[in-house]
Amino acid sequence: MNQLLSVEKLTKRFEGLVANEDVNFSVAEGEIRSVIGPNGAGKTTFISMISGHLRPTEGRIFFRGTDITALKVQQRARLGIIRKFQTPSVFLGLTARENIELAVIAAGTPRGQRQTRLDEVLDLVRMTAFADREASVLSHGQRQWLEIGLLLGAKAQLLLLDEPTAGMTAEETHATGTLIRDLTQRLRLSAIIIEHDINFIRDLQAPITVLHLGKVFCEGSFEEVSSNAHVRNIYLGNE
Amino acid sequence: MIEPRVPVSAHSHRTRFGGEAKVAIAVFACLALFPLFVSGYIVYILPQYMIFGVLAMSLALLWGVTGILSFGQAGFFAIGGYAIGLMTNGSLPFGGLFLGLIAAVLLGYLVAALIGYFLFSAGVRDAYFVLVTLALSIVVEQLSVSQSQLTGGWNGMFIMRPTIDLGFTRIELFADIPVYYVVLAAVALIYAGLYAFTRSRFGKVLTGIRENEMRLVSLGVPAALHKTAAFALSGAVAALAGALYGLHSGFVSPSIGGVLFSTEVVVWVAIAGRSSLIGALLGGIIVSSLSNYLSAITPTYWQLALGLVFILTIAFFRGGVAGTLERFVANRRSAQP
Ligand SMILES: Nc1ncnc2c1ncn2[C@@H]1O[C@H](COP(=O)(O)OP(=O)(O)OP(=O)(O)O)[C@@H](O)[C@H]1O
Ligand SMILES: [Mg+2]
Repeated sequence: MNQLLSVEKLTKRFEGLVANEDVNFSVAEGEIRSVIGPNGAGKTTFISMISGHLRPTEGRIFFRGTDITALKVQQRARLGIIRKFQTPSVFLGLTARENIELAVIAAGTPRGQRQTRLDEVLDLVRMTAFADREASVLSHGQRQWLEIGLLLGAKAQLLLLDEPTAGMTAEETHATGTLIRDLTQRLRLSAIIIEHDINFIRDLQAPITVLHLGKVFCEGSFEEVSSNAHVRNIYLGNE
Repeated sequence: MIEPRVPVSAHSHRTRFGGEAKVAIAVFACLALFPLFVSGYIVYILPQYMIFGVLAMSLALLWGVTGILSFGQAGFFAIGGYAIGLMTNGSLPFGGLFLGLIAAVLLGYLVAALIGYFLFSAGVRDAYFVLVTLALSIVVEQLSVSQSQLTGGWNGMFIMRPTIDLGFTRIELFADIPVYYVVLAAVALIYAGLYAFTRSRFGKVLTGIRENEMRLVSLGVPAALHKTAAFALSGAVAALAGALYGLHSGFVSPSIGGVLFSTEVVVWVAIAGRSSLIGALLGGIIVSSLSNYLSAITPTYWQLALGLVFILTIAFFRGGVAGTLERFVANRRSAQP
């Protein structure tokens, strides 16, 4: 598989606090990767450095082989690196359709293709029935889907999903897992997914990276990671 | 997925500038019929208030659509007024009515583009931006006082009423009625242009900036450039209004560029409702005419009353009159089966 994104020795320090330290990581084209870890482990910081919202203190980021460490958020987004925020971030005062339309515009889609593209994305995230509802009246779960729709509309190649199932019912969580796997396979997209929901992580069947105190604690399949006694300890706060 | 419990369009009033086309047609039709029933001073002065309405729309474009407040609109207004004056009173080696209008618009556009470019690409916060626009008003007023050899200083500058030469015929703009209709046509054209703009791709992006700038940037949109362009357009429209004002009133003076006048523009738009262009236009017309009328009768109480209305609007009717009406209509619609 071709390498899509790789990071080398990524470090982020906030004054005294080390939020990420010497993180090495890569994701291939069409691959999903999960990142887990207890609260404050540095997961969001990690994604923010990839999306460009935070400047790394040290280390470098490569996308399709080019160094993008110095690029701004909007430049990385144009390359296809687009994040979903931990707290759903959509255009609350606009309808779902208008939300996606903005994303389609952001991708520079030519006028003639915008409508087709818009309908396609609404369908992909299964929001056609709610298309004319204002985002502010959508449920928390629907907003999360809408935000994933924004990433698709903007032509994301690498989806950075910070807790995409937070606030969802078990049913919605399951549907989200299916959606993400479906999308990455059908559109050959890659994804880095941060999650706390352990059932969701298990169903995703993607390689897992455990972050702890800003460092990569261990990596492996769900079975390997979940049978690791040290991992269980850090979640219980013993390590 | 779960059905939301709130009615579908309960909040859609905040969404679009659409749906106001019918109101706009009614407003312009009323304005067109007005001189058939009324005559005298009011036919002379109403065009001036319509021009103030254009100034109000220049702010609605920025504040209502993009979410950026400016206390610099009067500054651009004065730039336009002085530009048309200088270009038509023979003090420059070149000039003329059309060149003057173009110069006014360009100057407003460039000054705003320059300020916008430096501030927005540096990522300054909105509050800081407001302060800079406030400073712009002060600077323009000061310049128009200090550069008295060009501007006439506190004495102001007189501007000739123009004659429009259409080749086959000439419209002499001295009598009230032709002036009224020429200004009305200009205002309607400007409104139509701005309305189309708000519904364009670019207008939609500006709405996105107002709704959630960080989200838009994170989808790959260079928001700073769009904000710069929005401010430049707003500056151009305000300057055009200033040029029309200069031609209509035949006189410009430093006070039209000051902070006080800029604040008045903010008050008109806040009370009328910044979410709607036609609302802002009407706000400019109605509040400014009331303001002039009542301040002549009872200057102190009027200021006080206007201030109170402003505070009440900000506290209880964020969307102003237009926003409150739109919400009322939206609720009525969604209440029907
Ligand atoms: N902008 C910031 N300034 C200072 N410290 C920060 C900043 N952002 C994050 N931190 C700190 O860095 C550490 C890692 O934070 P981060 O948000 O990356 O954790 P997380 O793994 O995403 O946690 P959670 O599961 O709660 O979302 C925390 O101790 C946090 O307080
Ligand atoms: Mg986090």
